[in-house]
Amino acid sequence: MLNPRSRAIRFIELLLLTSAVVLFIVGAILGDTFFLRLATEALIFGGLAMSVDLLLGIVGLLSLGQALYFGFGAYLSAVVLKEISPSFLLAIGIVALASLVLGWVASFIALRSKGVYFALITFGLAQVAAKVVYNTRSLGASDGMMGVPILQIWTPFGSLDAGQPGTFFVITFLTIGGLYALLKYFLTTPMGSLWHAIRSNEDRLPYIGYKSKGPKQVAFVLAAVVASVSGALYPMLRGFVSPELMFFSVSGNAVVTVVLGGVGTLIGPILGSVLLTSFKSIIGTWTVHHHIVIGIIFVVIVVSAPKGLAGLLVRRFSKIRSPEGGE
Amino acid sequence: MLESLQYIYAPQIINGLSIGVAVILMALGLTIIFGLLDVINMSHGEFYAAGAFFSVTLVAMGVSFWVCLLLVPLLLVPIGFAMERLLIQKVFHYKDRHILTLLLTFGIAMVLEDSYKIIWGANPIKPSAPISGASEILGVMFPNYRLFLMGFGALLILSVWVLIYKTQLGAIVRAAAYDKDMSSSLGIPVMRVYALTFAFGVALAGLAGVLLAPIYSVFPTMGRDFILMAFSVVIVGGLGSIKGAVIAGILLTQLQSISSLYISPVWSDPLVFAVMVLVLMFKPTGLYGSMKNA
Repeated sequence: MLNPRSRAIRFIELLLLTSAVVLFIVGAILGDTFFLRLATEALIFGGLAMSVDLLLGIVGLLSLGQALYFGFGAYLSAVVLKEISPSFLLAIGIVALASLVLGWVASFIALRSKGVYFALITFGLAQVAAKVVYNTRSLGASDGMMGVPILQIWTPFGSLDAGQPGTFFVITFLTIGGLYALLKYFLTTPMGSLWHAIRSNEDRLPYIGYKSKGPKQVAFVLAAVVASVSGALYPMLRGFVSPELMFFSVSGNAVVTVVLGGVGTLIGPILGSVLLTSFKSIIGTWTVHHHIVIGIIFVVIVVSAPKGLAGLLVRRFSKIRSPEGGE
Repeated sequence: MLESLQYIYAPQIINGLSIGVAVILMALGLTIIFGLLDVINMSHGEFYAAGAFFSVTLVAMGVSFWVCLLLVPLLLVPIGFAMERLLIQKVFHYKDRHILTLLLTFGIAMVLEDSYKIIWGANPIKPSAPISGASEILGVMFPNYRLFLMGFGALLILSVWVLIYKTQLGAIVRAAAYDKDMSSSLGIPVMRVYALTFAFGVALAGLAGVLLAPIYSVFPTMGRDFILMAFSVVIVGGLGSIKGAVIAGILLTQLQSISSLYISPVWSDPLVFAVMVLVLMFKPTGLYGSMKNA
């Protein structure tokens, strides 16, 4: 029998998978565009939130500037698609490699600090990068870059047209799912155990013969890659990128998503992103002031249920006992 | 040589100083709140905006600007007090309260910012300066209001320092920051001191908002542009250090305004940030220690 935590995670995974399949089938039958594209966007921002959760929920580092890597991935992907070739694999490959380097360089700056200092440094890094992009003429300055071509995706069974909302939804689902599987795999390795150890008590780590620096650096770089690859999908969906993608509101939103979905579960943030994106879309039809509502919900969650929705599920599962009384 | 000093550097230095005074006022609130409560107040910039908005409304209602200087901070004190009591103290006992309080104040910032949009609209409001005219110093003209701002700001910073280090009230606050259990057993109402200190820091931010409203425009996200600079100042000076906030505030704003003579202003922010990173690399806790140890 699985423990309540794993059961809650399994439950969310199945819930998301089922909803995705249902949405895809219903969308294909009805020829829907709006909901498929909305769901794709939710998954893309879910990927960003997942990278925040890797740092916050697993290693215990609060990043307030994850939008830096998300925006970097989006811009680089837009440049590759426009200037080199509209190829999905090429764009994702280049972004993954480049973000590996960027994350590695940034880790030397950010990981000099701990706790609140780390939060403020990542915040500052992203603010500075956003300001530079906002004022760089060759990257379109405040207008961003438009006219990213529609992708043709090569597969062994022939070429796919990503302009189809259903097709691109599946591709996004597989990409974000792949990133999730990658992170989950990392959690089963000794590296994953070290991350948990750092979160519990970093000062004790040297007592059992490990340094905390290496594992933290791996997590930081991995989070940068996950955020960048998620960001790389954005121009493929929207056809443009703008400096707003690097702004603090994007980083902040990712943190809200993580806390809403459940810190430290990796899948919770995806659920949180789906809920938050749908919520914004619904509430956005009758008011532009959705931040006030989301802000209030967020404050209530932080004060009363700091483990988020996944935490509520865990509590629910630990109350249910099987009739035989065996756990 | 002397001419370039007079006409190029002097105006830049004095303008930098007037921004510096405002940044220091913001940073003082942040650093006092952190020094005592260990809370990074992400909504500090929104309280700065609150001060500016309150003064715009009060002036429109016919209240004099000089009364606003006193009234607006007084209005913010109960708001800050209630916020600390009702929200921040709720998550204070958790192990990762650093992160939880940061998240909490971030959520509050979201709510506040959107409320301003609803109440005052998103368009910038430009109040007129309460002191008009300009004076000549060393052959260069300076707006009178900026000169007043520098003098008044310096006076304020000095009074905060006197309050914290030279009065009994300040001694209570420092004692509570140093050892809250011991202070509590000596009869200090620590929880109330926490809430009052938070309110005091927030009121300082509001006062900075009142003072700067006539120089910059007033709009809902006005705090955001300012908060990064204030955070950099607090980090370089040392979280929780008053002396550090003042010295780092002057250093960083001077660096920003003088460097903008040579490089595009776009790059002056990265420069300030680079200095912050360098300081963190060699002195991870900033230039000066926390006010607990003074």
